[in-house]
Amino acid sequence: MGREVSESCVESLLTEIVSQYCNHFYANKPELAARRIEAIGYQVGHQLSERYTMDRPRFSDHLEAIKFICKDFWSELFKKQIDNLKTNHKGTFVLQDSRFRWLSHMSLDPSSENSGSAQDPSTMAESKAAQATGMYLYFPCGIIRGALSNLGIPCAVSADISSLPACKLLLLNTLRCFSIEKLKLMVQTYPA
Amino acid sequence: MIVCVAVVGHQNNPLYIQSFTEADDALKLHHIVHCSLDVVDERVNNPKKSGPTLNETFLGLLYPTENYKVRFHLAYVDAVSNPFHVPGKKITSRTFAERVSNIVKSFGLSSAG
Repeated sequence: MGREVSESCVESLLTEIVSQYCNHFYANKPELAARRIEAIGYQVGHQLSERYTMDRPRFSDHLEAIKFICKDFWSELFKKQIDNLKTNHKGTFVLQDSRFRWLSHMSLDPSSENSGSAQDPSTMAESKAAQATGMYLYFPCGIIRGALSNLGIPCAVSADISSLPACKLLLLNTLRCFSIEKLKLMVQTYPA
Repeated sequence: MIVCVAVVGHQNNPLYIQSFTEADDALKLHHIVHCSLDVVDERVNNPKKSGPTLNETFLGLLYPTENYKVRFHLAYVDAVSNPFHVPGKKITSRTFAERVSNIVKSFGLSSAG
């Protein structure tokens, strides 16, 4: 395919996109920031799918196209395939990546703000982690939506992450690191 | 010889049309392009009849050589990858136009020689 890009550059770019849109362009308007980021991902996915399907014949049905996303497309983007694909055969697909590359170098360092909370600290921290990393998933979701749309499958893509703490909390003031690994994408296609 | 190259979008909207002879006017070319689209649509909607040739229909119905299809497609993919290109709008890249006319020229040379 020709040129390659350093993965750490892509990760840094993703981090910076989220930071710029959330803190500058659409400060205090996270929904707008999310939509804009997703739209950028949409265009990228559109273009990438054009390039990565060059040598292939047309897909015979939606499932074949989704399988392409799970295998070849995912490999081009993330150097691995989707680990698990489920469908209800009625237009909903769940794609699971147990070690999503673009989040693998991210960790969440919760501040001491949540000391004194009545809730169980580890679940609260988990949901904080989910919130914080949620913004970083709009871009990949947009990519998938753009790719599928270019393959003739309009759809909605949403992400769900389950965070796996890398180490358990021992003391309230200890630095906690969570590694966010498992990514679940839900693709909802529209009936023809 | 190649008379015209056209790129058509998802909604049958023309994204790029370029003729390579002086004779035909633009309107006639548009018409011919849309007629050939009907043939393509026919092939798409009757998968049993076309079978293994389904891939070929999208990259040049009549030409026997693989090479040109790939070159045209690659030029299109590169044009569309331009971040300033709006999907669904006309292709305005000069580089694309140059590449297309180079392909047409080399096709003309090789078929004449």
